[in-house]
Amino acid sequence: MDRYRDIIPEFERFKEVQSLPLPISARINTLKTDRLSMLERLERQSIRYESFGWYPLGLRIDMEKPGKLLEYLLGYIHIQEEVSMVPPLVLDPKPGEEILDLCASPGGKTTQISQAMENRGVVFANEPSLARIAPLRSNCERLGAVNVAITRYDGRRFPDHLFHRVLVDAPCGSEGRARRDPDLLSRCSRKRSLDIQVLQTGLLRRAVRITRPGGVIVYSTCTYAPEENELVVQKVLDEARLEQFSLPGLKGCPGVTDWDGRELDEDLKHCSRYYPHLNDTGGFFVAKLIKR
Amino acid sequence: MSPSSSRGRGGNNFEPLERREVADLWHSRFGGPEDAFEGYRFYRKASSIWVISEADLPNLSYEALGMRMISLKDRPWKPTTCALQIFGRYATKNVVHISDEQARAFLAGESQAMETGCESCESGYVVVFYRGEVLGCGLYSRGILASQLPKERRMSNCMEGIDN
Repeated sequence: MDRYRDIIPEFERFKEVQSLPLPISARINTLKTDRLSMLERLERQSIRYESFGWYPLGLRIDMEKPGKLLEYLLGYIHIQEEVSMVPPLVLDPKPGEEILDLCASPGGKTTQISQAMENRGVVFANEPSLARIAPLRSNCERLGAVNVAITRYDGRRFPDHLFHRVLVDAPCGSEGRARRDPDLLSRCSRKRSLDIQVLQTGLLRRAVRITRPGGVIVYSTCTYAPEENELVVQKVLDEARLEQFSLPGLKGCPGVTDWDGRELDEDLKHCSRYYPHLNDTGGFFVAKLIKR
Repeated sequence: MSPSSSRGRGGNNFEPLERREVADLWHSRFGGPEDAFEGYRFYRKASSIWVISEADLPNLSYEALGMRMISLKDRPWKPTTCALQIFGRYATKNVVHISDEQARAFLAGESQAMETGCESCESGYVVVFYRGEVLGCGLYSRGILASQLPKERRMSNCMEGIDN
């Protein structure tokens, strides 16, 4: 990851944090419970937790396997990495809308979208891989996300329809997940990123095409490589414009605007990069686009 | 225009069902208020009934619509755990309330003898409540309650979830 030395602040600390385990985090599912009741349940069981400063439904839970809680079976919580809760918040879906989640499995973001919509309207959760449909369905069912319709298209060729908002949480090199799976890093390289970029660009281009004019497209990855992030977003700026956003309490860094000796579009600074050492989380990239 | 699964196999489409039809089926076993299913639409695909929030769906090929609610594969029909967790709380009959100890067995997927609490249940599928919340589906027959919790939902060795 040394090639990121010039774009990641406090790079030595960034490297140190890679070997530290990721805090366990969960999202309270308001389709089946409410925040206060869930917090009371944790307190009754003497389970220590801490609410995220930037998102009251997010919790750090001080236990190894919250998946073994009865509350998990009941669908009151979903185990979800802290920064992976960012893209649905930036997408900001409203009850009654038609939302497309183009790369949906295993459904953490899908169900977070569903809960923001209070189960009204439709989330189209697309997942091309048959093997990944089962976990997606299972999570939607457990969490009571009953406004989700699952499709299995190649996202680059998703059929014509105009959505209010589209989330492209693209397949990526996953460098931002290294605290959970250190082996990921050995598989990442500039060349591999350039290979995935082709797929990512195809997905984002299609997403922009099938969003209503004025509608929102959120592009996210859990990787740092500008080849998979800003360089992908730059390719659609003729059809969509970047919009700045921030989540008070969560430290984001602006997108890069020059890379590999190349000047990129100035507006790419409106993208947000989330680094593990700045928030004690995984790593993420998020861009918010408005269809022209 | 009804949403269909276009991958070409006959009999594998989501066919719309009348809400009334599904409500009558459900009420015949579990009772409950007439309006419990307002705001939902129902579909049948192969041997299952699916429920999704009320909305007009574009004509796409679907793998799933909302959640699987009822399996019609065998007789009697069987409600799914996830559907009971949403609609089961309105049930007025064929309901069983279980204790801490019984909940442990139920969550482990076991069958257990029920000395009390099932007097008013007819044989067949029942809604299993624990501390006011629906855990899922049980099969009750001749004093025995068999957990129908899907394997992937069972919690056999760890009951941190049952607070003391």
